[in-house]
Amino acid sequence: MANDSEKLSSAESLRKTRTFGKVRCHNPSCMERMEPSPGAAHIKCATCGMEYRIYWVRPDLPRIRGPVWEVNRKIAAEALSRKLSTSKSKSQVKEGVKDGVR
Amino acid sequence: MALDRKIAYINLSTGKIETKPIPMEIRKKFLGGRGLDAYLLYNHAPQGCDPLGPDNPLMISGGILTATCASATARTHIMAKSPLTGLLGSANMGGFFAPEMAWAGFHHLVITGKAKSPVYIWIHNGRIEIRDAAYLWGKSTTETQWAIREELGDEDIKSAVIGQAGEKLVRYANVMTGIKNAAGRTGMGAVMGSKNLKAVAVRGTMDIKIAHPIDALEYNKRFIEGITSAKVSGTQGSLGTPFIWGATNSWGGLRTRNFQYNQMEYADDIEPERLDEIATETIGPHHMTGCFGCQVHCRAQYKIPSGPYAGKYDEGPEYTSLGAFGSEPDCRKAETVLTGNHLVNQYGVDNLEIGSMIAWAMELYELGIITSKETDGLDLRFGNDEALLEMVHRICLRKGWLGDVLADGGIPASEKIGKNSFEYLVQVKGMSNLHSDERGTPGLALNIATASRGSDHLRSRPAIDLYHLPEKIMRKIYSNPVPYDGPLSSEHTDYEGKPWQVFWHQNCFMAVDCLGICKYHTVFLGATLPNFEDWPKVIYYNTGLEFTPVELWEISERCNNLERLFNLREGLTRNDLKKGDMLNHRYFDEPTKRGAPDVVGLTIDRQKFKKMVDEFYNHCGWDKQGVPTSATMDRLGLNLEPSHLL
Repeated sequence: MANDSEKLSSAESLRKTRTFGKVRCHNPSCMERMEPSPGAAHIKCATCGMEYRIYWVRPDLPRIRGPVWEVNRKIAAEALSRKLSTSKSKSQVKEGVKDGVR
Repeated sequence: MALDRKIAYINLSTGKIETKPIPMEIRKKFLGGRGLDAYLLYNHAPQGCDPLGPDNPLMISGGILTATCASATARTHIMAKSPLTGLLGSANMGGFFAPEMAWAGFHHLVITGKAKSPVYIWIHNGRIEIRDAAYLWGKSTTETQWAIREELGDEDIKSAVIGQAGEKLVRYANVMTGIKNAAGRTGMGAVMGSKNLKAVAVRGTMDIKIAHPIDALEYNKRFIEGITSAKVSGTQGSLGTPFIWGATNSWGGLRTRNFQYNQMEYADDIEPERLDEIATETIGPHHMTGCFGCQVHCRAQYKIPSGPYAGKYDEGPEYTSLGAFGSEPDCRKAETVLTGNHLVNQYGVDNLEIGSMIAWAMELYELGIITSKETDGLDLRFGNDEALLEMVHRICLRKGWLGDVLADGGIPASEKIGKNSFEYLVQVKGMSNLHSDERGTPGLALNIATASRGSDHLRSRPAIDLYHLPEKIMRKIYSNPVPYDGPLSSEHTDYEGKPWQVFWHQNCFMAVDCLGICKYHTVFLGATLPNFEDWPKVIYYNTGLEFTPVELWEISERCNNLERLFNLREGLTRNDLKKGDMLNHRYFDEPTKRGAPDVVGLTIDRQKFKKMVDEFYNHCGWDKQGVPTSATMDRLGLNLEPSHLL
């Protein structure tokens, strides 16, 4: 009922699942939870190898600022190359597509 | 009490003003805010009316909880037929306007007609006047608000205003309040401009009686604890919405160079943390502020650090300004982002749309589809910061051939530019996509394709789909308040179960917009934030109205169906690339090239996308063409609409 103030809602009951101090890998099919050391500036995902820059919103609240670009670019290029060489949709990538110029 | 706030009908052609109470029967079916506005639009807009003509009604409203003891009831909703899309026009802004309007005695305004010369509407404790605004015409959004305060001698007046973009009928002009609060989609500012309406100013001291004040305050304490303890709120309160831009760019979901890339590499100077440093340097450590009744405080204050606008104060930037003046045009200077943000706020124009228009023109320029002849000599290549900001001026003032053409929006512009320019226009229903790239996220792609006001992330986006939540948690969220035992997937690259998530969020976000609260206080970015089970208590304690969670869900469905009926009446058909639930071919044909290893090389699968749309329609109670079935109309009590009860 509307005025049943004692019962926990789904949202309230889910709050115990929060994981303070951890971040999740930004590789979407990995999403491994990682716990940076206090104040750490970088972290590497032990599962998929992605490396990230860490920003501390508060001393107990880290967040991923972004990838380490060189590592990200290398891993992405390898993954794209692998996928395109095995994919039937290779022809979907238009010829001559380079940075900003078609 | 909140429910005694009235509706006012203001005809600017005749000067006639009429006020009425809002019948309880209507409240119980549509609540308030966006839902009740949808009812008013469907009932008052003549079919096929010119969006910039006097017959197009403009609705301005607060939600049913506005200015009560509930949290974050800051949102003002604005609705009309859109001059950008020709379909539903709907925009929502934070700030302090709607609460002030409620204290002045009103929850809803319906403005029709066209004034002979510029006017503004002045609403003060139940009284409404139409006043001369000739001296305001040509002023910026901020200048206008201060000029009205000075004229009326009250610094607490809140105004919803247009800038020069609205005056010039730029079809994606905003309505603005405060420094940067923008009702910024679908061109509601152009509708105001077409009526010669420069502003609506409000000031009120009429108390709002709370039905159960002690309970309302006690429950709100619990509510606030839930909001402020969330990790996402902590991050929002430190970095604002740019943190979402940063995270999206990190994994490769950010639209870059129009739609050529899905990640902006080496963007360190415009990352949210860098903007936070600039705000700290120019304002101080406590530079975050908030809207009425909100504890999150996601809005940064800053001064432009360098360049021709150095020292100018502004607020933001939001995610969309980082997209508009950063990733889309591939410009990498914080000064450019902060200056662009300032310009769009002063002109009163949709940063998302103008950024998309310019990035599209940049791609056309690099492809040779437009040349320096069309740009009047401007070198419109990607990465040209000066050209980007010059185009903002030209569009908002309709200067030069290209500025004037782009001011009319993407589809009309593509018809004037010709060649194959339309192929490169990333839009749905005539409105540009958020600066995000949904090729790696089918659920989000379905959201933008089917959103009622055109490509949009604030109508049904299952953003928590990106959190890889355990299925148990997904079930807990998505099986309430109505049972659901179909598929759900934690993989955001999957297609299974996504139609239900989009349907669920479509109803969730409609409820939020009817209540008048901010989406950062619900399951948008945080899975543990309030939703259907929490709101009945807030409504009951504050207004005395009793609803079950399922009843709220049904109200949301009813309002969403009414928006759908309006769109169908104005010409929406399922697969129409210009007016339908369809994506640009680039989603299906051009694989992503950057980002996390599981994001590169992805497209949206056409057949699976079609199946998702079918399933989504089925959840909505629509047929294969996306038309509500007679059973749905009966169930939701819509078969007598338009009923003209208000």
